[in-house]
Amino acid sequence: MILQSLKMAGKSIRANKPRALLTMLGIIIGVMSLVVLVSLVNGATSSVTNQIASMGNDMLTVSVSDDKGKPLKLSDLEQIAALESVTLAAPTTTASATAKQGADSYSVSVTGTTNAYFHIMKSELAKGRFLLDADQENNSRVVVLSYETADRIFGRSDVVGQTLKMDGVRYLIIGVLVEDTSLMSSFSQTYAVYVPYSVVERMSSGSGAGGMMQGGGSGSSSGISSFYAMASESSTIARAQIELTVEMLARFGNDEDAFSIRNQSSLSETLSSVTDTFALLLGGIAAISLVVGGIGIMNIMLVSVTERTREIGIRKAIGARKASITLQFLIEALVICLIGCFIGIVASGLVLMAVNLASGTSSYTFSGEILLIAVAFSTFIGIVFGLYPANKAARMRPIDALRYE
Amino acid sequence: MSAMLELVDVYKIYQVGDEEVRALNGVNLRVNEGDFVGIVGPSGSGKSTLMHILGCLDVADFGTYYLDGQPVEHFSANDLATIRNLRIGFVFQSFNLIGRMTIEENVELPLLYRRVKPAMRRALVDEALHQVGLYNRRKHTPSSVSGGQQQRAAIARAIVTNPSLILGDEPTGNLDSKTSAEIMEVFETLSSQGKTVVLITHDTQVASRARRIVHIMDGTVSEESIR
Repeated sequence: MILQSLKMAGKSIRANKPRALLTMLGIIIGVMSLVVLVSLVNGATSSVTNQIASMGNDMLTVSVSDDKGKPLKLSDLEQIAALESVTLAAPTTTASATAKQGADSYSVSVTGTTNAYFHIMKSELAKGRFLLDADQENNSRVVVLSYETADRIFGRSDVVGQTLKMDGVRYLIIGVLVEDTSLMSSFSQTYAVYVPYSVVERMSSGSGAGGMMQGGGSGSSSGISSFYAMASESSTIARAQIELTVEMLARFGNDEDAFSIRNQSSLSETLSSVTDTFALLLGGIAAISLVVGGIGIMNIMLVSVTERTREIGIRKAIGARKASITLQFLIEALVICLIGCFIGIVASGLVLMAVNLASGTSSYTFSGEILLIAVAFSTFIGIVFGLYPANKAARMRPIDALRYE
Repeated sequence: MSAMLELVDVYKIYQVGDEEVRALNGVNLRVNEGDFVGIVGPSGSGKSTLMHILGCLDVADFGTYYLDGQPVEHFSANDLATIRNLRIGFVFQSFNLIGRMTIEENVELPLLYRRVKPAMRRALVDEALHQVGLYNRRKHTPSSVSGGQQQRAAIARAIVTNPSLILGDEPTGNLDSKTSAEIMEVFETLSSQGKTVVLITHDTQVASRARRIVHIMDGTVSEESIR
């Protein structure tokens, strides 16, 4: 019976193609907006989370908001790195500076750190070397550039051995990191450079030559205001976090508010909760357009039932039960919805391909999950909005239907 | 001979505005198995109402209708649909074929509602189409064949389920006299094969082909003549 109803639905849809297509349009647009919008959000999310994951989930970020007059020094970080569950700790302080190359000037983001940073961030070098301990001790005016910075300022990456003038002071370029191919970097216009922590510290305290760098750390004492720590291989991130918390509490007189420790997973969680909300919001808007499409289907099905009143009478006269008539019209509404859904999915695929081509990435693909949601939702719409017209048809009295002109 | 259908004191009353119209006003009628009955009456005599009740398309307000000895008054809409499918074959004045479907598909329709297996369906449809001489036109849609052929298709649809009763409601009303004669021959053949045939018509010429003629006037069966 279902197979027969499917055939009948196909026939009746074919009999009035333009109308069926117009009816489907609502579903096509609804499915497209659902699939495309959610896929775009998911694509952006996975790109960001991949980037976070690429840093590893063995990293802890510690921020000190109140050092209680006992500023953290580099030597203190050595003690922290000596903790059983921690293998490395790298201070970071950021500042902005103006770099000059020829007649052009660029605003660069300067991160003052140590060699450990390179390992914690799992960075890779395209050329040269990263900052060494000796650079810290000697306050060497050396700089490591991100690939993008080298490329944008010098137009090439092979710049090791040259100098970069930042805030009037020349720094020797000792290394260039590999290109960041993640999606986020394509949106980012930041010129990232890395210099020895001690150099930035001296600049921001005003004792360094030039001393024009602005911002940096807590901006007050010369203590370390934030650092990264990496859990040792033999230990878990949770254990490292506990041990680090105990150590910091001991240092800052058991004041929990003096510092905060975050791990990568909490960062990912925050991020994913934000993007999930975003996806839900966009999905909700798309769902509304699907519902509007469903109302269009109900409208057309009601017209179709009225037009085919006599046919319904004939079917009833030769023995169609209520359920057969209901099924026939319900399946017709469902077939319209599912064909619309299929066309919508194919069109979404094309749109996402175009977005991928335009952005030069392949991040935007639709997941099986969203396809399943689209099909399930279209089915739901088909049933909900097909049921009323189908019931109307099934409830007709055969003699009334047969008399209908 | 056992009664195939029997109406006992059947009333059907319609309310038209303030006026009460007794479309059927105490009809008593008995049709035996194998009968070929022509029910004749002018327009407004209540013959269409009688046809609807005999065909289980409607139920009487008062009185009882026995079909194969069973009273049908208290059957649900679905039960009546099943009775129509199993026991009654309809032939209407305006053919009532579904325009989108081929003749073959139209004839197949009652079997679909009976859930007959595909191979069996095909065999029964072919047999019915052969019987009315329409097998070669089976792939045509109703609009592409003549009125006579459409009515033959409708007859094929009525007999494909091998019903115990074939009901014709002005079956020749839309046909010219030559085609009418041909269609009446089909009914005569069916009758000679032992089918119970009841034709409702205003045309005494048509009714005269039946073995038994029942006159209906003002909702009452007034006279019977047997050939």
